Amino acid sequence: MATYDFVFDGLGLRNWCGNSGDAGGGMTSMADLLAKTSGKDAVESPWATPFPSMDELHQACTNFPQSRALTSGLESGFMSIKDSLKVVVDPLTQPLSWALNEALWVMQAVPWFIMIPLLMLISWAVSRSVKLAGLVALCFGFLAFVDYYDYTMQTLAIIFVCAVICVLLGVPIGIAMSRSNRLQRGMIPVLDMLQTLPPFVYLIPLIFLFSVTEPKLYGIAIILYAIVPVIRLTDLGIRLVDPDVTEAADAFGMTKTQKLFNVEIPLALPNIMAGVNQTIMMSLAMVVIASLVSAPGLGVLVLRGIRSLELGVGLLAGLGIVLLAIILDRVTKAALARINVSQSR
Amino acid sequence: MTDTDIKISIRNLYKIFGDNPGPALEMIKDGMGKTELLEKHGHVLGLNDINVDVPAGKTTVIMGLSGSGKSTLIRHLNRLIEPTAGEVWVDGENIMEYNEKQLRHLRQHKMSMVFQKFALLPHRTVLQNAGLAPSIEGQNERKYAEEARRWLDRVGLQGQGEQYPHQLSGGMQQRVGIARALTSNSDIMLMDEAFSALDPLIRTDMQNLLNELQAELQKTIVFITHDLDEALKLADHLVILKDGFVVQQGEPQNILLNPADPYIEDFVSDINRARVLRVRSVMTRTPDASGERAGEIDHNDNLESVIALSEGDTSLSYRVMKDGKPVGVLDMRKLVRALVPSAQSDDPESARRSG
Repeated sequence: MATYDFVFDGLGLRNWCGNSGDAGGGMTSMADLLAKTSGKDAVESPWATPFPSMDELHQACTNFPQSRALTSGLESGFMSIKDSLKVVVDPLTQPLSWALNEALWVMQAVPWFIMIPLLMLISWAVSRSVKLAGLVALCFGFLAFVDYYDYTMQTLAIIFVCAVICVLLGVPIGIAMSRSNRLQRGMIPVLDMLQTLPPFVYLIPLIFLFSVTEPKLYGIAIILYAIVPVIRLTDLGIRLVDPDVTEAADAFGMTKTQKLFNVEIPLALPNIMAGVNQTIMMSLAMVVIASLVSAPGLGVLVLRGIRSLELGVGLLAGLGIVLLAIILDRVTKAALARINVSQSR
Repeated sequence: MTDTDIKISIRNLYKIFGDNPGPALEMIKDGMGKTELLEKHGHVLGLNDINVDVPAGKTTVIMGLSGSGKSTLIRHLNRLIEPTAGEVWVDGENIMEYNEKQLRHLRQHKMSMVFQKFALLPHRTVLQNAGLAPSIEGQNERKYAEEARRWLDRVGLQGQGEQYPHQLSGGMQQRVGIARALTSNSDIMLMDEAFSALDPLIRTDMQNLLNELQAELQKTIVFITHDLDEALKLADHLVILKDGFVVQQGEPQNILLNPADPYIEDFVSDINRARVLRVRSVMTRTPDASGERAGEIDHNDNLESVIALSEGDTSLSYRVMKDGKPVGVLDMRKLVRALVPSAQSDDPESARRSG
């Protein structure tokens, strides 16, 4: 006899269940088997009363589903919509694959003696700091010296493409959220979920949806994970714009579009840039995990370090990621600081 | 008020804040009070049956304590706030019937606004801020720079055009605010507690600047303040608000001499009357001013200057002149009586003529 027989008996569902539990479909769980072999299934102390879980209830009533039916149901459900989902999502995300392929190709095709000065120039242009440009040269010089140049460029290319797409999608979404309280209420749980879902979990449905060789697989995973801060901080930034200033813009007859581009976005820019900084950092974190699904770059080396216990390779690649993170963080923070100086009151 | 055109005319304006202002409006019209409305129905009465005429080319000051609805009222003039009921006529057109485009045109060309907290754009230079109105129309900086620079010079900000607002002091920022309003070239200037955030000394400077500009440009100014001294210094026409309705309006001198209710009496009891009152408000009006007089004074002199002239001798009397002609006689005893708030003059000339 199972513990919860009385539930079904009490509800008068015994007929729906078929025969009583132990006479029916046979043993279903290890615990049953153990009980049978030890031959003392009737003696149960109240301390051992199991939780009325799906499996326990199944023991009492064979027609009650087991918990593995739930997970397999989810799986078959996803499988059944997979094809129609793919028809929509596949062409929609195809440009992402192209962009990633192109970026990877360009970053590796440009020779190092052009690429490193170019990166120095960019960091100088955003920060106006010779020291920072020197730091960039030092870090990339080191990574190239230990023969990690190609891996570094691949990682940088992926981050570049994903961060740009995050900004292009995230800023408009953030603006829309700042306009509508209802949209904000709807979006916040979604953003919370995206931010807290373990990064590996993103990968699972994506693996079913796309082939592992396609770059968009990891592109989507990175974007979903990294887009959250730029959306949040754009929304916050626009909501924090001084209402006196927007009122002045109204009083002088600005249109809504003028107000958005001449007042709201410029005043929210420090917050938006802080969001961009966070987005870049998070895409760097994700690009390592994404190497599980064939994302090239430094993450592959980390993975190699884990898989074949090559301690040195793993550590050095980890150091490379840290250096990359420092550079990206410093450059974006320097840009942010310059905006703040021109606006501080 | 009789000899000037009316620029803005506010008619039966009501504003009720709350979810369902319609029924609340009916209750107010049936005589419910502000407190009762808030307690029983959760609606806040902002403005209650406002009727004000703003004369063209003059400064109209709307005065009241905080919560009296004055900032709400001024925002109805350019519809930053929509009324619950009522009309606002500007140059003979009811702006409540304006569509969005007409309203933008009104805000760009006919009305400009100066704010208590300056509300400059922090990411634009002083020059770009001053040229906000033309830039909204799509003019580039080269085109509006000359006009903007001219007004910046006029308000005393020579050579500061390339600075950013945060590099300027509060008083200078508000000068930019005024230059911004002037560059828009509109007839009407709305000033919402424009000088309230400034230090007393700088505030006096700015009041003088505004009076100078006004003498030169004759804009129609609607000025909001909670400071009676400021109101009396600037106003040609004074409107006093309390709890969302107009308690008294008219020429400031009249309000001072004939306060309509205890609320206004309280208000006016603290000010330096000798500096505010003019000879014309207390003199005895007579075309025949012959006889023995101590001297001649202008009808627009304030009483303080007359006291200084008489050196405190109350036995004197003066001939009052207007445009070189005698219009009345001022007896020093009468002057002294007018300085005490409760001892109201029984002069028929200064009987209440509220608008």
